[in-house]
Formats: sequence, C-alpha cells, structure tokens
Amino acid sequence: MDKMIDDEMLVTQFKSGIQKAFDELMKRYERRIFSYLLRSVRNYEDAEELTLEVFFKAYRALGSWEPKAKFSTWLYTIASNLSIDYHRSKSRHPVFIYEDENVIEKRLVANDISSNPEKQLEDQERGEIIRAAVDKLSAKQKEVFMLTRYEGLQIKEVAETLGMAEGTVKIHLHRAIKKLQTILQPLWENNEI
Amino acid sequence: MPKCKISEAHVIDYVIGELDHTEAAEFRYHLTTCNHCIRHVNVLKHVLQLVDSAEAEIAPQAIVPTNLESKLYRRLAEEPIQKPSVHSRFTDFIARLGLILQIQKPAVVGLLAVVAIAITLLIGNPFDNETTESVDARIEQYHHQGIQRSMEDVIRNKHLRPSDEWNTVSQLNRVKDQAKGTDWAVLANEHLKGVNSKL
Ligand SMILES: [Zn+2]
Repeated sequence: MDKMIDDEMLVTQFKSGIQKAFDELMKRYERRIFSYLLRSVRNYEDAEELTLEVFFKAYRALGSWEPKAKFSTWLYTIASNLSIDYHRSKSRHPVFIYEDENVIEKRLVANDISSNPEKQLEDQERGEIIRAAVDKLSAKQKEVFMLTRYEGLQIKEVAETLGMAEGTVKIHLHRAIKKLQTILQPLWENNEI
Repeated sequence: MPKCKISEAHVIDYVIGELDHTEAAEFRYHLTTCNHCIRHVNVLKHVLQLVDSAEAEIAPQAIVPTNLESKLYRRLAEEPIQKPSVHSRFTDFIARLGLILQIQKPAVVGLLAVVAIAITLLIGNPFDNETTESVDARIEQYHHQGIQRSMEDVIRNKHLRPSDEWNTVSQLNRVKDQAKGTDWAVLANEHLKGVNSKL
C-alpha cells in the first residue's frame, strides 16, 4: 500500500470495509508500540502479548473511532492504559528483559565482534543498573519520560495520550529527569556505573 | 559558588529542547557567564546520555516479534465481534436482511435462500457451535465474518437511508470487491441487480 497515504486515510478505508488498510496501519506502528511496551514492562513475552492486545482493541474500536487526535496518539493511549493496568496487576518489581532465543543469539554475535568479555559484562550490568533507576520513577513520570524521549511525542500529544493538562505533563517530565539525576549522579561519581 | 536564580525547570527545558528559539538563545548567552548552570547542563546531559544508551540496548529493532498480524487475526477469529452465538447472529442477520427486503418483496425468497446457502458454505453449519480446527481456517473464517459485517452495514444503511441508492450501490460494489471469489460476492451481486433495476 502507498506510503504516501496518511493514517487517517487508512482509517477511513478500513471503516469502509477495506481490511488491508488495518494491516498497513499495523505494519506502520507495530515496532514502535512494541518497543514502547517493552521499555514499559521490561519483559519480551509480556510486551508481545500487550502489543497484540493494543491492536486487538484498536481493531475492535476503530469502526466507531472519531479522529479527535492523531491515530498514533490514540494507539499510544491504548498502549499506555494497558501498561498501567499491567503494572497495577503485577505489583511486583519489573523483571529484566526476558532472554528470548533471538536476544541471546544477538548477544552472542555481539560478543563475537568484541573480544572483551569483561567489558561486555560490565556494559550489561551498567545498563541494568540504569534501567533499574528508570523503573524507580513513578508510573506517570516514566510514561511521560518514555513517550517524549523515545516515542517522539510532543508535550501536547503526551497530554492527549494520557489525558492530562500540558502543564502536568511538564511537571512529571521535570520530576522524572531530576529523579534520574538524583539516583544516577552519585553512582557515576563513585565509579559504580 | 552562589546559586543562580535560574530555575531548575528552565535548565531541564533547555537540555531537552523545550525552550523556544529566543529563550534558548538567551540561556546560551547566560551560560557564557554562569558556571553553576554550565555544570548543571553537563550533568543533565550525562544523565540523559546514560539512560538513552541503556534504553537503546533493550529494544533493538531486529527482535520485534514476528507474525503479529496473523496472531491478531487468529485472535479476532477466536473472539468474533459480537458476543452472541453464531446461531443468534445468523437469525439476527436474516432478520435485518428481511427489513430491507420489505422494499423489494419479490426478491425475498430467493435472497434468503442464497444467504442460507452462502452461510452454510462459508462458515459451516451455522447451528453448530464447533470451533474451527486449524489456524488458517480461523483466519479464513474471520475474513468471512468481515465480509458479513460489511454486508450488514449495507443493509443497515439501506434501511436507514432508503433513498440513498447511489451509496448502497457503491457499498455493494466494495463488498463485491472484498468478497471476490466467495459466494458473498454472488450475494452482493444479486443485491446490486435489485437496486440497479430501481434506478
Ligand atoms: Zn545560571
């Protein structure tokens, strides 16, 4: 399908019964939604499950969806609600990424390239410490931080996605960054990361 | 060093690019004279760099799950749009079909027969609650449910706006297209003939 067709056009096509339009929308957003959810839940299998759930819900609701915001913003709204429910239902510490075969394979390839296994391990631990700091943010702080920083959403779009005032989004974003600084700065000053 | 009067939020906004053009220029000018803010900016940039690289590690493009689409359609096939059973959906469908056919009485009997045959051919015995065995069959079944929904839309619109025949014709043509190669296309065509004969 033509890349030049915008999302809203595809939505209209889908509403008029062209199933393929949804396939195209899914193709456009599955990676982004999956990475977003993977960062949110830190677990490969759950992120996959939730990604499916996002598109499942979107498919069901799209027929009656009236575009007040962009289609992508709407998708992130569904994803972020699901991720909030997920964290609510699993009131446990997030686990680190599930070691899917593909991930292990990728890591093996990476290890082949760099012949310094100690450094590899160091980098890996460092990454985990830093992600643990991110996971210490409140749910809203983390959502706002992730959506602006890694999903490329504007403050205004995050406000729409999360149903907050723009000012509130900014406050959460500032607090998130300040909190990351509070956690991480002592760690690098003590050479722990 | 005395603390600078510029707010922490302002420095953060500068680092994440949330200041407008003028504000950013003013702040850059301020940085030429304020070591406190320079240090703050550098710390924040380092924090974000660390987090960016840690977050980049965990979502590499290559490991996005495969076959999400077919998994979605399988799920949609498992959980059809309307909760009611196949049986009640069947009777509902026939009932709605009956509504519009009041306008075209002569066609009623023939069409009902076509619908019944089509449904039996397409999704098996509508009174049988058996779930389909293979994944492909489910996806196929889902496809037919999609067509059925489009057909229902035609019927609904035709009922609500009986005078808008052009709309009905174009909708039916879309269904025909969507249903190409199936008996639904035959059904849509039958319908189309009926409408066209009135135009
Ligand atoms: Zn200053």
